[in-house]
Amino acid sequence: MTDCDVVIVGSGPGGATTAEVLTRAGWSVVILEKGRNHLLDLTPPFASRRHFANDEVAATRRHLLGPDPLLEPRTYRRDETDGERILVGEVNNLPSTVGGGGVHADAKLPRFREEDFHLRSTRGPMPGAAVEDWPVQYDDLEAHYAAVEISFGVAGEAGTNPFAAPRRNDFPMPPGPDMPMAVVSAAAAQRAGFHPYRAPSGVNSVPYDGRRACMDCGFCGGYGCPIEAKGDPVAALRRALITGRCELRPEAFVTDVLRRADGRRATGVRYLDLTGYPTPPVREVHAREAVVLACGAFETPRLLLRTGLGGDLVGRFLTNHFQTFTVGIFPEPTGGERGRSVTHLHDDLMIDTPALRAAAQSAGLPWLRGGVVEHGSGPGPIDEASTYSAGADHLEAMTNSALRRRIWAFTMQGEDLPQAHNRLDLDPSVRDAWGFPAGRVTYAPHAHERAASAYAAPLHEAIMRDAGAQAAFSATSPPQGDLTLQATLGPLGIAPSSRHVMGTARMGTDPATSVVSPEQRLWEVDNVLVCDSSVFVTSAGYNPTLTLAALAHRAATLLSGGKS
Amino acid sequence: MTPIFDDDARATIATAMDAQVPGAAALGSVEYVEQLLTALDHDPPHLWAAPGDWAGEGPAWLELGPWERQAWTQRLGDVRAVYQRVIEGEATPADERIVHAHACEATYGDPAYGGNRHGGGWQRIGFPEPLFPPTRAPQ
Ligand SMILES: Cc1cc2nc3c(=O)[nH]c(=O)nc-3n(C[C@H](O)[C@H](O)[C@H](O)COP(=O)(O)OP(=O)(O)OC[C@H]3O[C@@H](n4cnc5c(N)ncnc54)[C@H](O)[C@@H]3O)c2cc1C
Ligand code: SF4
Repeated sequence: MTDCDVVIVGSGPGGATTAEVLTRAGWSVVILEKGRNHLLDLTPPFASRRHFANDEVAATRRHLLGPDPLLEPRTYRRDETDGERILVGEVNNLPSTVGGGGVHADAKLPRFREEDFHLRSTRGPMPGAAVEDWPVQYDDLEAHYAAVEISFGVAGEAGTNPFAAPRRNDFPMPPGPDMPMAVVSAAAAQRAGFHPYRAPSGVNSVPYDGRRACMDCGFCGGYGCPIEAKGDPVAALRRALITGRCELRPEAFVTDVLRRADGRRATGVRYLDLTGYPTPPVREVHAREAVVLACGAFETPRLLLRTGLGGDLVGRFLTNHFQTFTVGIFPEPTGGERGRSVTHLHDDLMIDTPALRAAAQSAGLPWLRGGVVEHGSGPGPIDEASTYSAGADHLEAMTNSALRRRIWAFTMQGEDLPQAHNRLDLDPSVRDAWGFPAGRVTYAPHAHERAASAYAAPLHEAIMRDAGAQAAFSATSPPQGDLTLQATLGPLGIAPSSRHVMGTARMGTDPATSVVSPEQRLWEVDNVLVCDSSVFVTSAGYNPTLTLAALAHRAATLLSGGKS
Repeated sequence: MTPIFDDDARATIATAMDAQVPGAAALGSVEYVEQLLTALDHDPPHLWAAPGDWAGEGPAWLELGPWERQAWTQRLGDVRAVYQRVIEGEATPADERIVHAHACEATYGDPAYGGNRHGGGWQRIGFPEPLFPPTRAPQ
């Protein structure tokens, strides 16, 4: 007895894209999602549940979208000399909810460039890092990028980023309105010789696909959209559900992959039905064709490690983006209270230039790559208020508002090189509410990331000052140097704050050096596919979601017998 | 909102809040704490406000799942203990950080949560009224 053709674990951008492709091909799927459903009704016409508001308390303070760290703690250490861990709580947390991290991402959705897929060939090896070429190249993905841009609804402007990879189609929508301060910082970046452009965003600039145009409400990054102007991944999920061939079960925590007696073929999954309390019933879903893991690059390896699947490399080569924040404080308000958090990017520091080569040489490295730089606004008032010390000056600090009304920030999503000892494994003693070992991150950046950050920071500070900032300074996440109480209690914390998690089940052509094949199938059980950013071979310096969704689109197309 | 602390305790908490964020008490920070501590007495709990219904009758409240309820029962028990120490004059530095966090949330969070009376916290820093506050019906 089977329940479906394919069972998909996780309803984020990876799982939703997989479901959309498979159901369109006539396959039946069951999606199991451990988080709760705040996104859409599960009966036709699958309307918005209208749970989201411009609400800093619920979104940033009260774990509305999960995971609640009391139920699902994660742990962190920089390396083994830290002992078993230095932190228990939130580490790289992405929402645990129907729609996954897509729900509250502010959806900059750039494509990777051609070079990002063959860095080893173009730039050469990097001592201490496992830089390899991907088995899939940009040309293999171009059509899938285009398909996902249509599915999620990406607004953008072709031809304005001179470094962008070639594209056959224009964006489905024109870009939305610029944030006024982004126009100022983009002009300053241009004067410095950079090439800023309007960010491709999964946010409707016009009514699209039955969803409304963005209102630039200002509560974008970190918040669900009250009017569904963000299409990632609600649009893909809804299209899958509308076929009648997709069933979505929230509060279903998958604990195991079921296999045939010889272990060579997966037959389904086992899960805890978290609607049951205090002893959640154990249930199973049986699938005819395949099991797709789309739990995100933190939870997918955690599940694989728990089930003993995937081999010794599972969890290794964990990458984030090494973030460098350059903050400018301006004499006048920057207007960041409205808008989509980020409307402009530049990625000049991803390009091989004589200046970057010289910087690499002086750092004793063969090459350097920075990352895409987001021109963005500051935090909400609660976050700002929490940053200032208590006491009589608090109101004055809030009224002057250096860190909110008068702030503008560059965030460089620095390319993070894969290293075998940076990894996700199972914590030896911390457990989740259901008794399973917590995921533990062991992570420290490579000298490359630190050098790229040190090179970028003064350039960006100079741009901020040229844009009119009275003061400019930079910080990284994770912080460098000694662990101080200040760093521990600071807004960025001591663990990497990046929500771009990649590389923990890397793809390749050789089972000895990879976890999944170029079709994203586990080498040892080839009807288990991984459809999230776990499969990334390198992290590139670009926001990962469009690429992971394009890869999921390709893998699902191949699985269902379509052309890649 | 029925007070859960007696007058003396409320005054002590108000002083502690004002020491963190001046003016927090006048904007409803004690009420914010009381609403938080009694959130689970309501069905649905008054923890997560959602846009009001189409008639625009103020915030609706979202259901918690059973496991979320377990986590919040534990968390609110811990918060209650923090305020007990505040009342008894035995607050630790960690307790003060929690009071600070609550004072910030109460002063600058949505009025649906019991603080930021009439949006006064936002007004005093020139923060514009959100386009989609939980207290407004979906459009
Ligand atoms: C504030 C914020 C802003 C961001 N902005 C951007 C951006 O601008 N651009 C960009 O590219 N990216 C951005 N991201 C990152 C983006 O959200 C992720 O890259 C993306 O969500 C990853 O998609 P995924 O499908 O691989 O995993 P996820 O979105 O993490 O989805 C995985 C889902 O699987 C579920 N799951 C996990 N384990 C299990 C299990 N055992 N059983 C059942 N279900 C399970 C999880 O609950 C989750 O819902 C942002 C993230 C945040 C938090
Ligand atoms: S800025 Fe636009 S897309 Fe973002 S949450 Fe607000 S309305 Fe939605």
